[in-house]
Order: sequence, then structure tokens, then C-alpha cells
Amino acid sequence: MQKSTHITGKAVAITIILALAIAAGIIAFYRIDTTGRKGCCLGPEFGYDLNAYREINPDLILYKEVKRFSTGLQETRAIAVSRGDSQNIYVAGDSVIVKFTPDGKKLSEFQLENPPRCLTVGEDNTIYVGTKNYIVVYNNKGKRLSQWEHLGPNAYLTSIVVEKNHLFAADAGNRIIHHFDTSGGEINQIGAKDPSRNIPGFVIPSPYFDLAVAADGLLRVTNPGKHRIEAYTFKGDLEFSWGRPSLSIEAFCGCCNPVNFALLPDGSFVTCEKGLTRVKILDAEGNFIGVVAGPQQFIEHEKVCNEKTANRTAVGLDVAVDKQERILILDSCISEVRIFTRKK
Amino acid sequence: MRLSHILLCVLCATLLLYASGAALGAERFPPPQFESGHELPLTTTPSPRSPTYELIDMAVLLGTLSLASWLALKKRSRRGIFYLTIFSLVYFGFWRKGCVCPIGAIQNVTLALFDSGYVIPVSAIFFFALPLVFTLFFGRTFCAAVCPLGAIQDLVLIHPLRLPDWLEHPLGLLGYVYLGAAVLFAATGSAFIICQYDPFVSFFRLSGSLEILILGVCFLLIGLFIGRPYCRFFCPYGAILRILSWFSKWRVTTTPDECIQCRLCENACPFGAIQAPYTAPAPSNYRTGRIKLLVLTILFPFVIIAFGWAGTRLAPTFSRMNSRVRLAERIHLEETGRAEDTIDESDAFRATGQPIEELYDEAILIGKQFTRGSMFFGVFVGLVAMLKLTALTTRRTRINFEPDRSRCFACGRCFDYCPQEHARRKKNGNQPSLIRT
Amino acid sequence: MKNSEEKNTYNRRELLRDGMRGALLLGVGTVGGLLTRRTQTDRTAWQIDPYKCIACGNCATYCVLEESAVKCVHAFAMCGYCELCTGYFEPEPAALNSGAENLLCPTGAIIRNKIEDPYHEYTIDEPLCIGCGKCVRGCNAFGNGSLFLQVRHDRCLNCNECSIAKSCPSDAFRRVPADQPYLLKEVQQSE
Repeated sequence: MQKSTHITGKAVAITIILALAIAAGIIAFYRIDTTGRKGCCLGPEFGYDLNAYREINPDLILYKEVKRFSTGLQETRAIAVSRGDSQNIYVAGDSVIVKFTPDGKKLSEFQLENPPRCLTVGEDNTIYVGTKNYIVVYNNKGKRLSQWEHLGPNAYLTSIVVEKNHLFAADAGNRIIHHFDTSGGEINQIGAKDPSRNIPGFVIPSPYFDLAVAADGLLRVTNPGKHRIEAYTFKGDLEFSWGRPSLSIEAFCGCCNPVNFALLPDGSFVTCEKGLTRVKILDAEGNFIGVVAGPQQFIEHEKVCNEKTANRTAVGLDVAVDKQERILILDSCISEVRIFTRKK
Repeated sequence: MRLSHILLCVLCATLLLYASGAALGAERFPPPQFESGHELPLTTTPSPRSPTYELIDMAVLLGTLSLASWLALKKRSRRGIFYLTIFSLVYFGFWRKGCVCPIGAIQNVTLALFDSGYVIPVSAIFFFALPLVFTLFFGRTFCAAVCPLGAIQDLVLIHPLRLPDWLEHPLGLLGYVYLGAAVLFAATGSAFIICQYDPFVSFFRLSGSLEILILGVCFLLIGLFIGRPYCRFFCPYGAILRILSWFSKWRVTTTPDECIQCRLCENACPFGAIQAPYTAPAPSNYRTGRIKLLVLTILFPFVIIAFGWAGTRLAPTFSRMNSRVRLAERIHLEETGRAEDTIDESDAFRATGQPIEELYDEAILIGKQFTRGSMFFGVFVGLVAMLKLTALTTRRTRINFEPDRSRCFACGRCFDYCPQEHARRKKNGNQPSLIRT
Repeated sequence: MKNSEEKNTYNRRELLRDGMRGALLLGVGTVGGLLTRRTQTDRTAWQIDPYKCIACGNCATYCVLEESAVKCVHAFAMCGYCELCTGYFEPEPAALNSGAENLLCPTGAIIRNKIEDPYHEYTIDEPLCIGCGKCVRGCNAFGNGSLFLQVRHDRCLNCNECSIAKSCPSDAFRRVPADQPYLLKEVQQSE
């Protein structure tokens, strides 16, 4: 009798172990996650979330979008507005320059020999186009007038501005500003690091480098790595600078901003930033005035920018200002021109 | 001589200049110039395992298979097989982390046959084919002492229980279902389920997900009492070997000589593979057998069609194993507004800029592949089930106690039970083995 | 009589068996031969396509190894060498130093070295990196995207089916030849 209970005890134990093992096995089988549906299961300290900074207080937004039109180009690079009364809009991209009316109707288009990077329109409506390494001059009909010297293999022109018979070209590759006369002769170079003149040099981590001539006769140049705008004389002396890094709306976010800017007639700045895509107004001393458009207006832009992570040379916004103080933003990712006017 | 040297140098210099010129001309945004002349470091690229190790693995496989076959059939040494099992467990299991193995190689071969873009390494072909060839000649000696999964199960078997036939036969079909499913998912490029659900791999890697570890522990716990559960009921390669070993030239027999019907080995096999003698019914009693066969033959086409049809009904569920199909379904849910948020997968897809219609087309194409494949899967399972039933109905006369060809793992445990074996050992001058493993 | 009958059936069976064995051998040989025509002696290895990777963090947790074989690597030629690196610092660092509260990397695996003012070099300390990709997201958000994730082949077991590859939401894993097992980001070509 005792023997049989002993065997039964063993049998029961074995049965229980087997039953538990089979049950646990089946449960474990169903819980195996082969498709990543659980997600990474990392804690919150592994998250990277800028959403808090994407919200802009609506009271700060001073501009509203009134018009937007497509440039019709694959790769859009730069925008400029003519100085004359026509206020035509010039857009450079692919290997063409396209001219639009202020309402966005396409007027004409002319071919270039090489892909353009930047352009500016002179007082006499001469068009100065910067390719990667050199400047080409066209008349308004698209006839090539001259091609200037090759600036070397490291050159990477990102911005041109012309003032009377001075032409300034921002070379992001060489981290320098070329100063030409309008016939192509080089006058000097501005911005090279020179401790004796207290010039720290330009820090340009990515190919965005913009400049403009202000009403006070000084050049305004971005120094994106230093998050500031610097003022130079035409001779190359650094007069003053302003700007600081911060994600807050009053300052320049990320590692290298602003990418582009334009000047309003009263001397204030319209600056564009990448990373947190926003366009805002700062006064002549750099104090924050208000926002033209915040990240919420550039959701499509940022989505397309993420597609183009292979090519980060064309994600920045370009901006121009016309005589009516409308702000024209060139969104290169979605190839559109978006026009903003001040709210009343 | 010298002129050609000069020409060669000039050619090299020109090429170098051209290359550097091309590199300089390449349109890239240059990094900053460092005044200190600091040189940019290079991103390191540590190499993987040298390909020579592949050859060593293949050589070890050949060696262990040969040794296992010799030990099981010629030398008939359980001890030898036992030590070889441990070696295989250590080498193929813990050292090579159980990958690539012949079981998984089924999938590689399937994928290579169906996807022209996939190039299969020679070692995978070798690992797949060599045990098959050995089985065709020597029986399942691979399972005996070479397969690390078999090894780990074999070594934990402490209290073997014999399963009743009504349980053993249906469970045996599971291996074919697993095989069919593995081929289906590998052929459509959806998943390598043998690898995903390998229970013992967490032991070999000494790391991995908790669920696989628990599954492995469960298998080993079951394996304490029911010998080699994965081998007998799940292993898809074992399903193939079962078929092939039917046609093997030589096989392991319990007795080295004639069977004297002493019945001492009747319960010797922990896996229940030893079959007792069986007298087939006399021709006059064929009637019941004949009726059974007739019924089976009539049912055969219906069963095949039914299983094939069931397969096609299951095709949509199977197709969800494919990541493109899942993605298409998710995108569709989001596009039609039935899913509120987006998930990482759908965000990433939209960021590629690929048109949604293309994704839908891809998913539909894969769905069609699954419909066809699942039908074949169903037919295959039905076929195997019918053949099994037929085999059970048409049992042949067996005179001796001998292991069932297809179920014998060639482990050699039964040798020790046979008096003929003891006689042979004495004749060879060996003491009867005292080790009972 | 019965014996010779049995012997005949036995011989017939043996013949059938031999025949099947031959056929199966032929089958195995054909399959093997077919495949060897399209094979390479090298194995393939798993690698991440950095242009598809979204740095979701699965690499850190889905690897079968306790310490993932995926690590962050740096394409120095693409880096801007910024003082304020958004892959190194938290979005709003209190100060630009290596204080733990300022750093983005949760395991402190990025080392910052000053080259010359204002340029700093950022290198990854691989034993500390877990492959979570937080720095990759930071670098891609504002910077040049020079930090990216790659499978390190001195650590990777080269599983037949990579668990991380199955869980990757952007399908960024693919098999590459084992003699060129890296998909490094090149300095971008402009168009």
C-alpha cells in the first residue's frame, strides 16, 4: 500500500511539473515579440522631444500668410526681389532663374549653365548668380554678361548682395566674404580670422551663410556657429555684433543659426532658423519683436526635410522683403514661395 | 624592364591625380580648416569573424557526423556517443552560439530558391545538405550526437516516460506543420520562424529575451521526463530526416547480430522508438484492413482539398507575418481615419516619400503569394496526415525487436540491454559497459 | 516457399529503397548545385542603412546580446565641430561643459575634446554606448547628421535572422557582404 502511494506521489509531481511547463511554454510563446510591437522600452531619459519648443504663444505671431505658390522647380535654392517698382520675384533653382509677378504668376524663365546657389538683383536689374565656386552675371533677359573667377575648390557660395558698385559674396566653404566691384575685380576679403583686428572669424558648420547691406552702410553677416549677426565695414573692420544661443524664441536655436535673413526698411531683421523652423523679427540691436511663422506653419516642410536627410545642404529657408514690407519665404523643401504680411 | 616600371609609375600617378582631382571636384561642403593642422580621425570599421572560421565549422560538422555514424553503427559505443554529444553541445551550441544550424538552414535554402536577390553562403548549403546525405546512408546519426539542440535535450533526460501511441502519432505531425510554416514564411521573405522561436538559443548565447528563455526552460523541464520533446514533436529538420531515414542504407539496430527475442530491450528506448514484433493479419483477414484503406483512398482527395482550402482561408493571417503587409494595413487604417495616431513605422514610411499606392500594390502581391503558398501548405499537411494514417493502417510484419527507422535517434542507449551486444563486447575483449546513460 | 517469397519482397523493398535513396540524393545534390551557382564564399553580415534609420531606440533593446552590438559612430568629415553640439548637449544646457546635467547621452558615452577655439571634436566611447540613438536624433534635428548608428562587427553574432532587423520600424537593416560590412555616411554630395 505504501509503495503505491509513493509511486503515485511521484506521478503527481511529474504531472504537475509537466502541466506547468506546458502552460508556461504556451504563454511564453504567445508573448514572444518578433515584430517590435513593444517599442524600445527605454525609459524617458532616452527620449528626445522638442515639442515644447514647437509651440509659439499666438500673441507673439505678428504676421499672417496671404499667398503661397509653387516655384515649379525640383530643387529651389534662392529668392530675391527686384529693387524697382515692378517688385518681381526671382527664384533660382535647378539650372534656371524664374521670374514671377508679385502675385506669383510666372513671367519668364531663363537657363543657366550650372546649378545656382544664390542670387541677387542689382538696381539696374542685372542679375548676379552665384554657383558653387564662382559668380556669373546676366542681364534681365537672361543673356550671360560675364563669368567671374573661380574661387577655388573649397568655395561654396551661399549668398550674394550688391550695393551700388560693391558686390559681396558669402563663401561658406572658405568661411570668408569676397568683396568685388561690379566688374568682377576683387577688392578685399572680409571676415578672415585676425586677432590683431579682433576678428574671431566665421564659424560655419553647415552650408548656410548669409549677408546683407544695411541702411547704415555696414554689412550685416550671420555667424551661425556663434549664433550671432556681425556688422562689418566694407573695409573689413568688425564694428559690433549681437545674438546668443538658446531654444527660446528670442534667441537662435540649435548649433548653427540663423541660416538666412533679410532686412526690413526700418533696419530690423527677419531671421530664418533651421531645426526649429521659425522666422522671426528682431530689431536693429537684436531684441525680439515678434514671430512671422513658427514651427507649426512648417510641418510639411519638416516632414519633407526628414526625407532629405541624405542632403542637408538644401533644407534652410530663404527670405526676401519687398517694398510693401511683405515677407517672402522660400521653402526649398516643398518648392514654394510663401508670402506673409503684418497683421493689423 | 625599367621602361615598363616608369610607365607603370606614370600610370599610377595619373590615376592618383585623377582620383584626388575627382575627389576635390566632388561637390561637398568642406569641414573647418584647423590652424593647428589637426587631422580628422577616420570612423573605425572593425571586421567580423574571419571566413576561415566558416571552413573550420564545415570541417567540424563533417568530422562529427562521420564520428557519430561510426560510433553508432560500427563501434556501437554509447559512451562514445555520449562524449561526442557533449562535444557538439559545447562546440556547435555554446561556442558557435547555435547559429547557423541545419535546422535554420532550411529557411536559407528556401529563401535562396524563391528570392533571386538573396545570395546564400556556401556554409548554409553545406550545413543543410551534409546531414541529409549522412542520414540517407546511416540514419539519424546527426540527431544522435551532432545537433546541439538535440544534445541539450538528450543530456537532461533523467526519468523517461513513455507516451501512449494515440498521443505520440498526432504530436509527430506537428513537426511537419512547423516545416510547412517555416518554408512558407521563408519563401515569402517574411520571417525565419525557426530562428525566432528556437527555444534553446538563449542558453547558447547566454542572453536574449525573457520569453525565449522561459520557453527554453519549459522545454528542458518537459525534457526531463518526456525525452527530446523538440526533436520528436517540433523539429522541422527532424521531419525531413524522418522521411529520409526510411531510405537509409544502414541503420542502428539494437542487436549487432540476430535478435533472439529475449524482450530485454522492449522498454530500453527512452523515446519509445523500439518496436515489438508484429504479425500482420493473414490474407484471409485482410478485409478490415482493405476497408480501412478503401475509406482512406476515398477520403484522400477530399482531405487534400479541404486542407488546401483551409490554408487559403488562413492566408490573410499568415500574411501578417510580413512586415510590408502589416505596414500597408496600418497605413490604410490611418488613411481611412480608423487609427488616430501614427506609429514609428508609418512615420518612417511616409518619410521615404514612396507613394502609398506602391505599398498597397506590394502588399497585394505578397498577399497573393501567401494565398498560393498557404494552399500548398494546407495540401502538404493534409498529405502528411493521410500518409501517416495509411502507414498506420498498413503495418508490415516485423520479426524482431528493432528501432523504428524514422524515430530512432541513434543514441545507442538500447545497446546495453541486448545480450547479443554483451556477447559481442566480450568477444572483442571489452568489459560490459557499466555506464548507463 | 514463404521464405523465398519473403526474400523476394525483401529484395523488391530493398530495390525500392535504394531507388528512393538515389532519387533523394539526386534531389539534395540538385538543390545544392543550383544554389552554389549563385553563391559567394563570404557570408553576409547585418548593417544599418543610416539614411533610413530613424534612431527609434530599438537597437538598444532588441539585440540578443545584453550589450547591443549596435553603437553610434561619427563621420568626422561631416561634423561641424561646433562648440554647442546638439548631439552632445541637452537642448538647453545650463553651461557648455561636461557636467552630467548638460549632456544628452544618458550613459555619458560621448567625449568632447577641444581642438582649437571654437572647434571641438566629439568621439564615441564604445563600451559605454548602448545604441539608443538619442545623440543621433539630436544631431539630425539641428546639425549635419554626422552621428549615426552602425552594427559593430567585432560584437555582432551575425544571427541568421537579426532580432533588431525584425523590429526596425523603418526597415533600415539589410544584409551586406561580410568583407564590406559597413554602410558609412559619406560626406554628402551636393547635386
